[in-house]
Amino acid sequence: MSSSARHFAEAPQLNADVRLSVEQVSYAYSANPTQAPLFTLEATSFQARPGELVAILGPNASGKSTLLKLVAGTLDPLSGRVLLNGFATHTLPPRTRGQRIAMVQQESPLLFPSRAWEFVLQGRHAHGRSLRFESADDVLIARNALAQVGAEHLSDRWMDQISGGEKQRVILARALAQQPLLLLLDEPTLHLDIGAQVDLLATLRRLAAANRYTVVVVTHDLNLAGQYADLVALFQKGKCLRVGTPAAVFHRELLEQVFQTSLTVELGSSGRPRVSLPSAP
Amino acid sequence: MQARFTFRIAHAALIAAFSAGLCGSAIRGQAETPDGHAALPKAAYKEVVDDYGRAVRIPQPVQRIVSLAPSLTETIYALGLQDRLVGDTDYCDYPPDAQKKTKVGGTINPNLEQIVALRPDLVLVTKNLNHIETVQALENLGLASYATDTHTVHDIISSTERLADVLGASEAGLSLGASLEHRLADLQQRLSGIPPRRVLFVVWSDPLISVGKDTFIGDALRWAGASSIVESSQDWPQMNLEEVVRLQPEFLVFAASHGDSVEASFDSVAERPGWRGLEAVRQRHFATISDAVNRPAPRIVSAIEELARQLHPEAFAPPAEDPIDRKSPISPAPSTPSQPHGDTNESREFCVCAH
Amino acid sequence: MRPLTLSRLLGYCAMLGAVLFVVVVIALKMGAVPVSLYGLGHDLIRVAFRQSSQLSTEYRLIIFDIRLPRILLAIFVGASLSVAGSGFQALLRNPLADPYVLGVSSGAAVGAILALILEAHVALSPAIAVVFTPLGAFLGAALTVFAVYLLGRREGEIDTPTLLLAGVISASFLSAIIMFFMSTLTGGNYHGMAFWMMGDLSTPIQPLLGWILRVGFFVAAGTIYMTSTDLNLLLAGEQEAMHLGVDVRRVRVVVYIAASLLTALAVSVSGAIAFVGLLVPHAMRLLFGSDHRVLLPTAALGGAIALVVADTLARTVVSPSEVPVGAMTALAGAPLFLYLLRRRAL
Repeated sequence: MSSSARHFAEAPQLNADVRLSVEQVSYAYSANPTQAPLFTLEATSFQARPGELVAILGPNASGKSTLLKLVAGTLDPLSGRVLLNGFATHTLPPRTRGQRIAMVQQESPLLFPSRAWEFVLQGRHAHGRSLRFESADDVLIARNALAQVGAEHLSDRWMDQISGGEKQRVILARALAQQPLLLLLDEPTLHLDIGAQVDLLATLRRLAAANRYTVVVVTHDLNLAGQYADLVALFQKGKCLRVGTPAAVFHRELLEQVFQTSLTVELGSSGRPRVSLPSAP
Repeated sequence: MQARFTFRIAHAALIAAFSAGLCGSAIRGQAETPDGHAALPKAAYKEVVDDYGRAVRIPQPVQRIVSLAPSLTETIYALGLQDRLVGDTDYCDYPPDAQKKTKVGGTINPNLEQIVALRPDLVLVTKNLNHIETVQALENLGLASYATDTHTVHDIISSTERLADVLGASEAGLSLGASLEHRLADLQQRLSGIPPRRVLFVVWSDPLISVGKDTFIGDALRWAGASSIVESSQDWPQMNLEEVVRLQPEFLVFAASHGDSVEASFDSVAERPGWRGLEAVRQRHFATISDAVNRPAPRIVSAIEELARQLHPEAFAPPAEDPIDRKSPISPAPSTPSQPHGDTNESREFCVCAH
Repeated sequence: MRPLTLSRLLGYCAMLGAVLFVVVVIALKMGAVPVSLYGLGHDLIRVAFRQSSQLSTEYRLIIFDIRLPRILLAIFVGASLSVAGSGFQALLRNPLADPYVLGVSSGAAVGAILALILEAHVALSPAIAVVFTPLGAFLGAALTVFAVYLLGRREGEIDTPTLLLAGVISASFLSAIIMFFMSTLTGGNYHGMAFWMMGDLSTPIQPLLGWILRVGFFVAAGTIYMTSTDLNLLLAGEQEAMHLGVDVRRVRVVVYIAASLLTALAVSVSGAIAFVGLLVPHAMRLLFGSDHRVLLPTAALGGAIALVVADTLARTVVSPSEVPVGAMTALAGAPLFLYLLRRRAL
């Protein structure tokens, strides 16, 4: 606790504009302390402002999820730090973390079913005392969150009786109910069809702008990242190869090297790159 | 808003805790009145020390007795005090009249309500069969209880005499004790000089359970001119069949339980694999005695005599008869009856007068 | 959207409280010695006004010294087991968890047997001897809880699957030890121990133990109650709970210790009564939902009701003898379990 108090005390606002600052963060995991690490994430840095959407891009097993956990503060970095408004995320007490950082990931199966509104209300847990009844404010915020993701009509439905896409929306609503500063999503488009994928990313952009979130999305979908992200961090085998706007990162040779397949990159009218597969011979 | 909730819950919990506490103490307070829970206020008390080492105050005279062990019930009948017995356990079946008494349940967890409802002056328990929790519960309820503990046949006799004294029937006790001692002395004389037979007392055959040497049954065997091959200090040791075969007892001793003929139970045991390794099984050398041997009561002396007759018939035969051939199946000598449940035995036990 | 309110919670509790009251009154009426309801009511009023000397002594003894303490015992043991069961089901994220799954009852049984064996070799006055066995049981339980906690950790904190494995294996190991020791017990003690292991409320406990049980219940159950909302979130997943602001590490330790304490206290005085800790939480979930703010109090009341009913049956069906209460709960519990299974409530 004393170390985190120290962190709280010495947190300088480096740049008043920057909300999320990832500074030379690295990580290593080995099953046995005496053995060489099985997996390493090399020093990575980037920054993001309120309202921005960051895409962490790369093929499978490139360290994306690990980076997300480091950003969330649920893993302690080997070196470097992740600052959220100046505070190191891994030193945040659980309650505070729940108020500032929301994570959307593949859900564990529910043990006992609950209704969607109950589920979303869970997002309010970090605000207020632990043992309490939800206040009118909490209810309002939860309802609002469901509205923002277009899932109001699902409010009274049981969680185990709605479709995958609908469940995804309710989970997102729960994250929104936390009223976080930072919204993290781990491969949210994995099981969605193309329409739902576009819908989700568009919603995220909209929410980021409207509610001033900083959104970090882990994905391996090139075009979604290219279309919707303000900042892209490209990873391969635990190493961050490049950070920048989509246009700056999506260079054909680089992408072909990372994704091990031939691609073509075109610049669209909006200035955003589009990646496509070469025509079949 | 939230603070109020927590406060309310804490408040409710405190109230609940207090009420539970008050309930508990109020109940205790009501019930803990000074002694004299028995039916009529008694003028006199007798202070004795029971076999738990407790100093017990027993109201005198003792007119209502509850017995929590079959052996104690039998003893009461043997002392001729059965009219004072108002309740006994489900297992008190001897003499048959005992079955007509009000039942208070088993020996391990007798029904305390039923005992209280019978308004006993004294509750009799044994250290061996009954539980100390029962004794303590009776004490908490203000009921006087007296515990006996017997490990040898002499213990049984002296315990009977002491019990008679506690119940205000010393003369009957001494008389019964003397009669029992006399019979034992007579037996000892008959068996003097005759080497004891090596036996295995079979309590249960599957698994094979016998009796330890420190029990009253073990002692009874010695009095009957038998020497148990079991050396264990456990009360009910489980025996290894191989070991028993190695030791080759001369006789197997069974206590007849109700309903089964001992012949049948011996046969079923003899059929089992491995048992044919015993000489005693091949030669059908088995002795049966009444299940009186299982109870530390005066009737055990009859069981001892019964066993002695079967193991050493030559000591009881009239001098003119030839010694019985060792190889032939043992049968009781014709002149003396030794049925396990013969009526003659019963009448002998009832009467306290010298026979 | 109908979030839980205090009035709804209190309403549920009042409903169950009323059922408990009725059940207690019926239990007071029934027994080897019959008691009339009208007479009972009349006498309770007399007691309240401290005119109890007007009651017959035996009557007073039976009601207040035998039946009422036993009913009170059933209430607190039933409540303890149900709350502990709810806690373990949440902690282990497993609907089949019951208070004994982590070996607490086996440890208590070993402690009780050792106390019995020791008692036979050491001369103790009855007043001390009667607390010896519960004390031994509690120590056995406490040691087991501690050992399983140590074994169930990974990298310094409780890991749920490891904890479950450690507990199950400890229970098996201890059961083997129990079997070994049981063979050394003599006749009466053996039966007593078998009775205890099936769950038995017939042995009156010393007033001091009753106090410890009651106070312990409020302390431990209260502690678990404070983590109600954390447990709600924990059921959604450990990672998710962590991100939603739950201090998962702390909650796990707190619930583990409190639920184990509840179980240890209950088992020390009454042996391992089956099914109550497993089924009452499920039945209450079926009736009132899985929100632990409601589940924990209703499980406590439901457990009390269930055990008072079972115990009353146990001591009246073959009167004046008794069936161990654990047999009653198993007889009723198994069909109920099947019913809940069919309704897919598990």
